[in-house]
Amino acid sequence: MVGREVSESCVDSMIIEMVSSYCDRFCSAKPELAARRIEAIGYQVGLQLSERYTMERPRFSDHLEAIKFICKDFWSELFKKQIDNLKTNHRGTFVLQDNRFRWLTRMSIDPSETNANTSDDPSVATTESKSAQSASMHLYFPCGIIRGALTNLGIPCAVSADMSNLPACSFVVRIKA
Amino acid sequence: MIVCIAVVGHQNNPLYLQSFTEADDALKLHHIVHCSLDVIDERVNNPKKTGPTLNETFLGLLYPTENYKVYGYLTNTKVKFILVTTDLDVRDADVRNFFRRFHSAYVDAVSNPFHVPGKKITSRTFAERVSTIVKSFGLSTAV
Amino acid sequence: MANYLAQFQSIKSSCDHLVISVEDVSDLWHIVKSGFEERLPFKRACLNNKTRNLVYVESLPAEFILTTDIRLRSRFPQELSLFWFREPYATVVLVTCEDLDEFKTILKPRLKLIVQNDEREYFIVFVSKAQPNNDQATKLAKKIYAKLEVDFNSKKRERCCKLDIHGPDANFWEDLDSKIMESIRNTLDRRVQFYEDEIRKLSEQRFMPVWNFCNFFILKESLAFMFEMTHLHEDSLREYDELELCYLETVNATGMKRRDFGGLERGDDQAALVKPDYKPLSQIVQDDSFREFEFRQYLFACQSKLLLKLDRPVEVASRGYSFIISFSKALALHENTLPFCMREVWVITACLALINVTTSHYNDGVLAPDVEKEFYRLQGDLYSLSRVKLMRLAYLIGYGMDIERSPVNSAALSMLPWPKPAVWPSFPPDASNEVLAKEKKILQANTRPKHFGIHRKPLPLEPSLLLREANRRRASLSAGNMFELSPSFAEGLSLDALRTPPPNKIPASSMSRTNSSPGNFEGSLDRPMRISEIHVAAEHALQHTISDPDLWKCLSSVQNFEQKYLDLTKGAADNYHHSWWKRHGVVLDGEIAAVYHKHGNFDLAAKSYEKVCALYSGEGWQDLLAEVLPNLAECQKILNDEAGYLSSCVKLLSLDKGLFLTKERQSFQSEVVRLAHSEMKHPVPLDVSSLITFSGNPGPPLELCDGDPGTLSVTVWSGFPDDITLESLSLTLAATYSADEGVKAITRSTATILNPGKNNIFLALPPQKPGSYVLGVLTGQIGNLRFRSHSFSKGGPADTDDFMSYEKPTRPILKVFKPRPLVDLNAAISSALLMNEPQWIGIIVRPIYYSLKGAVLHIDTGPGLKIVDTHVIEIESYTKVLQTSTQNTVDDRNSVSAATKEFTQLTLNDGKIQLPDWANETTSVLWFPVLASDKRLARGTSSVAPQKQSIVDGMRTIALKLEFGISHNQTFERTVAVHFTDPFHVSTRVADKCKDGALLLQVTLHSQVKATLTILDTWLDLQPGFVHTGHDDGRPSSSILPLIISPSSRAGILFGIRLGSATTGDEAEALEQGSILNIKYAISGNRTIGAHAPVDGESSASEGNELGLLFRSALVLQRPVLDPCLSVGFLPLPSGGLKVGQLISMRWRVERLKDLEEHAVSPDNDEVLYEVNANSENWMLAGRKKGHISLPIKQGSRIVISIICVPLVAGYVHPPQFKLPKVDEANISCNPAGPHLVCVLPPTLSSSFCIPS
Repeated sequence: MVGREVSESCVDSMIIEMVSSYCDRFCSAKPELAARRIEAIGYQVGLQLSERYTMERPRFSDHLEAIKFICKDFWSELFKKQIDNLKTNHRGTFVLQDNRFRWLTRMSIDPSETNANTSDDPSVATTESKSAQSASMHLYFPCGIIRGALTNLGIPCAVSADMSNLPACSFVVRIKA
Repeated sequence: MIVCIAVVGHQNNPLYLQSFTEADDALKLHHIVHCSLDVIDERVNNPKKTGPTLNETFLGLLYPTENYKVYGYLTNTKVKFILVTTDLDVRDADVRNFFRRFHSAYVDAVSNPFHVPGKKITSRTFAERVSTIVKSFGLSTAV
Repeated sequence: MANYLAQFQSIKSSCDHLVISVEDVSDLWHIVKSGFEERLPFKRACLNNKTRNLVYVESLPAEFILTTDIRLRSRFPQELSLFWFREPYATVVLVTCEDLDEFKTILKPRLKLIVQNDEREYFIVFVSKAQPNNDQATKLAKKIYAKLEVDFNSKKRERCCKLDIHGPDANFWEDLDSKIMESIRNTLDRRVQFYEDEIRKLSEQRFMPVWNFCNFFILKESLAFMFEMTHLHEDSLREYDELELCYLETVNATGMKRRDFGGLERGDDQAALVKPDYKPLSQIVQDDSFREFEFRQYLFACQSKLLLKLDRPVEVASRGYSFIISFSKALALHENTLPFCMREVWVITACLALINVTTSHYNDGVLAPDVEKEFYRLQGDLYSLSRVKLMRLAYLIGYGMDIERSPVNSAALSMLPWPKPAVWPSFPPDASNEVLAKEKKILQANTRPKHFGIHRKPLPLEPSLLLREANRRRASLSAGNMFELSPSFAEGLSLDALRTPPPNKIPASSMSRTNSSPGNFEGSLDRPMRISEIHVAAEHALQHTISDPDLWKCLSSVQNFEQKYLDLTKGAADNYHHSWWKRHGVVLDGEIAAVYHKHGNFDLAAKSYEKVCALYSGEGWQDLLAEVLPNLAECQKILNDEAGYLSSCVKLLSLDKGLFLTKERQSFQSEVVRLAHSEMKHPVPLDVSSLITFSGNPGPPLELCDGDPGTLSVTVWSGFPDDITLESLSLTLAATYSADEGVKAITRSTATILNPGKNNIFLALPPQKPGSYVLGVLTGQIGNLRFRSHSFSKGGPADTDDFMSYEKPTRPILKVFKPRPLVDLNAAISSALLMNEPQWIGIIVRPIYYSLKGAVLHIDTGPGLKIVDTHVIEIESYTKVLQTSTQNTVDDRNSVSAATKEFTQLTLNDGKIQLPDWANETTSVLWFPVLASDKRLARGTSSVAPQKQSIVDGMRTIALKLEFGISHNQTFERTVAVHFTDPFHVSTRVADKCKDGALLLQVTLHSQVKATLTILDTWLDLQPGFVHTGHDDGRPSSSILPLIISPSSRAGILFGIRLGSATTGDEAEALEQGSILNIKYAISGNRTIGAHAPVDGESSASEGNELGLLFRSALVLQRPVLDPCLSVGFLPLPSGGLKVGQLISMRWRVERLKDLEEHAVSPDNDEVLYEVNANSENWMLAGRKKGHISLPIKQGSRIVISIICVPLVAGYVHPPQFKLPKVDEANISCNPAGPHLVCVLPPTLSSSFCIPS
């Protein structure tokens, strides 16, 4: 899509701005609501991007192909790099690890107490891991993107992210059987 | 000439259906498109005797009736494009080309942030683009 | 060579199995015949196919024919080679011989002769008639047979076998079979080789002019037939395919060369594609080739026959369908030569024929499921193809009125071009009455108006206007005047528009035409035909075309046509249902339903319609649904299936608005309403989820305190085109957290009118349990009909992310908080109030974030307390009270008056007070005057024995009950304790005793209140026996008055009194009626702090203060104040001092100072009771601690009491106390007085006290 590119830094700051405005302004009271909104936006984005990026390719025959597509082409369309590591238990759970996740590179968190898994309710985050929580807020958007893309490819799933050691970040995809 | 082009969602629900006949008999085209879903289902569900290559988006000719032809196209996202044409000697290349261009138009349409996924496509610009694509059908096989 | 065709076909029909010739040399056949023939047909024959691979044929039919038989006469060499396939494939030579010489001389040469003359595949069967018991005969036979073998067997081929008629010889027959098989195989190979060579030779000269297809055909066919005879069907089929290919090539190659297509003969309209011998080949041959029409059908027939022999009906069907399509194209090419509608008729018959033959050969269940589905799909295709063609014919002959103008039919017919005969059939001159009939039919036929008064432009069944088409194709009219005609017929495409073609225009147009081209003036011909005439003409033409009487019967009348139409549609639908193509099937069900519907068979119609509607609505094809659903609704209405009808109406209403006109939708609604208000037999709950949707209002949920009612406002969206009245409406609330809580319904019983679109509805909400609630279902009543809707509307912009994350966030609409204190009541004052005086008591009313609107306070005073209800009650805001209390004004009335609005005077009616509105939110304090009454006279105490007075008797309680909240559902109860007290507590002591016996009585006043008390005056009313010393009637020296006592401080007053002359007798009553201390005082206090001037005092004028208040307290004085009659002396202790553990004796001397009075004489008056008390921790007493001592009653008598004590602790301790309990202290003088403390030294160290280290 030549002529439709947006400067990456613009995108980055736009995303950061979106997250912060949802967390602090719109629904500062209920972080889970903020999370859901952000995730929902990501969902739609993923839905539409998957439409675009699967245009010229044959249909996927199984889940793994689709996941691989996400890891390779989809990711490099988004971040100019592929997912670094893909693990699966062959029972519908996939772990996509990005050793240097673009949208976290701008962030610095004391890695000691960052174990805010976005799957558990961020509202119960303690004060000292506030920073971790805010960072995890930034992960709802890519989670939504992945979920949207896979859902659109006919794979309903739940996606959660884990950022044990920044800027590495791993997304856990659980396919709903 | 192309009589009708339709977009059908992954739940077999019509997302867009445009007929190019002068008479207001769009309903019969609705019927043709809807019934052609049978063929697509058959092709996708038991792919042994499907068209040229497995899992290709272009499904080829669905209906070999004597007086019109129905072509199908199934995207990765389980969205179906169905083309009904009345001219009986159509080159596959033309159809493929048509579908490619139509697909990109479709993608642009659904990428509109105001478009609700899974709902009918109501964008006017999309309609215009489609009509131009339809007009230029078969004129040039330029990719 | 074409002239062989007839013969060829006869041969083919005559022999269908291969022949084995029997050379019966020595007349044995009649003996062995039966034995031989029961070998037939050969089991598991093993042959070579065309590619020289072994194939096993299960059963190979054959026939033994004697060489002398007429059928084996030798033929001309050419036909010999052509029809070689019918020649014997093996020759069996039957010989026997009993004599060796005979064999040598006669038999052997003869056999040689038979064998050598041609290359026939032969073998010799030696039959020995020798009896098994006759061994020399058998020996001889053996010998002869041996010779035979020697002579005729070659090393590569065994040509002999031996049959013992009498001897059981099992393996002979296998031998025979194998030999025959070997021969047949060889022969077959050789002949195949021959034919192939021939064919190759022929096909080499394929593109030369000498090329003749017939020869090629005969060779190919012979080969194919030979394969067929030998049951090598695969090969045979391949031959036919090649043949067809070659034929089509030749046809197309020589396409430009004008050739006869065929199909002009009577009966050609009936497809012969499964009847190979429908026509003798000789009839379809044309110069050097065959007529396409017949020959292609012939080829296909042969192929299908083989396929069926191979038991592949599915392939027949699939090949057949594509053959029909392609052949119908071919027919279209030659349509102008063919009879009218030949193409359509042929397709119909072909499809039907194919269906018959395939279904008859198809046996279910043996095939793989997907192949079966394929087969059924093909059947369905065939049925629907014939169906379409039949409809086309029916339309042409004027049954168009009776064909449902459904999307299916329209799609099938309106894109199917009209037949293009060279000349459109013109109607016969004598058919005028038929024309009239048609006219009548057209005029009668009125399109059945749809239910609900829906009117749609009917879908076209014709590719173009038949009238125009037909007239254009008529010989007499040229294209030119077609243009002139067109305007007159331009209106509308449908037949209905053309029911009455304007008769006056036609001559006009014909006139104009005549001008344009002079020429034929034959009346009927040149005038354009009217539609009815066209129908009649078509009918006649068809009658000529159709040779099959059954088919014609189908078209002879509308009823028959519909019958056939129904059969075909059903066939198609059923087959599609068995295939992948469910939608096709269901849609065709819809067509069947349409016919039922037309004929009033509404039950069946409804059943099928339901299927169709389910299909369409399931996949959201609303346009199509909108076409069918009204019909279903009509059926349901007629069947008076009210439930179904209702739901159909609701479905119709909930379809896209664009699909129906407003007035149509209004009629749907009116139907719904009508039914709802009618008495339905089986009223069913109606699901209007698609029609009435609801959602909470955007924004935060309604928040209520526990136990409060409220009003819930809900947005309800109505999809009805008109206002609709809901007799009742109720909405369930589901508690989000506690599932066990279940759902509660809040109802609105009053009728609600929903406008189309958005409505705001308010529902009264009874008190709910704590928790947060989401909306559940909307239920209610339209008329007598209960409806429910459980779809939330994405109505307002509330949750715009609903569509994004597809699980809907259920927004809580109501929050009910856990029970919490909403208000607090407290006494405003902490310190005591004046007893027996009307006092203000303040109650602080503090709302805790809760409005006290319309709150009512119940005040219930406890015993000993009453409200001075003669006086008003005041309420003021608490904050102001604070600041007034900070500025300590003596009189708070100024500040009260300073309070402008935040001060209200209230009245108490039967213990209830209505709080003012300004106190709804703010903390306020309520003042009301109370009087605590205490009849008892306050008693003073003497310093000698200070009696503690208890708080309790000054305590009073007030029970408060506040009713508040909307509808006073909330109450708050609190009992406030208030402490009342006297202003003073009085204690007295005798300060001093003068020599003259005057006593100074000191009265100490303890102020009990937090207020400044001013003593204006005080006097002491003495009890009898006492008199004031001064003459100032018991007032203290007035110099000290007025005496001001600041809060909770004390003041002392001295009174001088002395014993008066009073008889001792009245001492008793003098004791109980003690002397009274009167104090006149004034109080200046702040009611916010505690005691203050009495309420009336405030209300009355200020001089009330001067007269002040009176406080009386009783004192008890006793006389004699002092007259010792006994003296107790403590005798000094030993000088050594006291040591711990050391015995000492303590001694007291008791002495009478004066004689006792007589009246005090008692039997034991010389006895004195004594008692020694000591702290048992400090002292150990030995001896009698308590006892009587006798003391003579005369003055001066004395006695010493000594007690042995042991000090137990070192240090200064109280010594033991000596007491005389019987004697009043006043009568004892301690002289010398005992020491207050004594010093006890630590014990002297002694071993017994050593602590072992």
